[in-house]
Amino acid sequence: MTLTGLIGRICMFPLQLIISTCVALKIHPNILTFVGLLINVAAACALGAGRFILAGFIMGVANIFDFIDGKVAHELNAVSVFGGFWDSVIDRFSDIALFVGLIYLYSRLGRTDYVMITALAMMFAIMTSYTRARAESLITKCKVGFMERPERIVLFLIGAFTNRMAAVMWVIGVLSVFTVADRIIYTYRELRAVPDKVVA
Amino acid sequence: MNRAATLPVRILWNAFFWTYERATWQYDLMVIAILAFVWLTPPDWLNDPMASGQGPVGWLLSMID
Repeated sequence: MTLTGLIGRICMFPLQLIISTCVALKIHPNILTFVGLLINVAAACALGAGRFILAGFIMGVANIFDFIDGKVAHELNAVSVFGGFWDSVIDRFSDIALFVGLIYLYSRLGRTDYVMITALAMMFAIMTSYTRARAESLITKCKVGFMERPERIVLFLIGAFTNRMAAVMWVIGVLSVFTVADRIIYTYRELRAVPDKVVA
Repeated sequence: MNRAATLPVRILWNAFFWTYERATWQYDLMVIAILAFVWLTPPDWLNDPMASGQGPVGWLLSMID
């Protein structure tokens, strides 16, 4: 087993307990998704106030909701097409909220350089999701590139808890650019393989 | 990727054009590289608005000097 695989297994124990509780209380997964967004907005406020440790804890709680909604939906047999759509949309709002919190902080500190770096990281993070969504309307699957949402979340947590948010913004920004490029190249290659397919 | 490409070029290409799943040794290696950058790069080098100091790398460099 790999190191990251082991960490994932260890984290699953408390999460399974929370999932079981939500299932027992029959909490609708769409509500869990929305609560996750509200908590992420609170985390963004903490980031904007420069209180990174507090933001880290709030993000941790928010991401528990983000993670469990799909599992709860499965266990409650409440999986729906709208649920998937709702989850994706709310995830984007959560992503943007955290970046906006940081942009507010850096602009308050008069750091235009990091306002730009964070804004670009936000732009490419959103484009990462968009390119995959758009690609998968044309091809079967487009799961290439390293910097997806779980990686961004973990990096935000690391940046907040260890006060290394600037380095984290560089990593998210650069790797998101690569991820978007990967998805464009991959989609181009896949579509080139079926030249007769005309897409509006 | 062309088979004739040298090993460093292939490594760089595979790191750029990422197709590995999570929980693979390649993924672990990338995670270690990212964490090394985040934790070892001195905040002063990045002009970090919220952190300062030389960090572990700066500390090591000052030990060498």
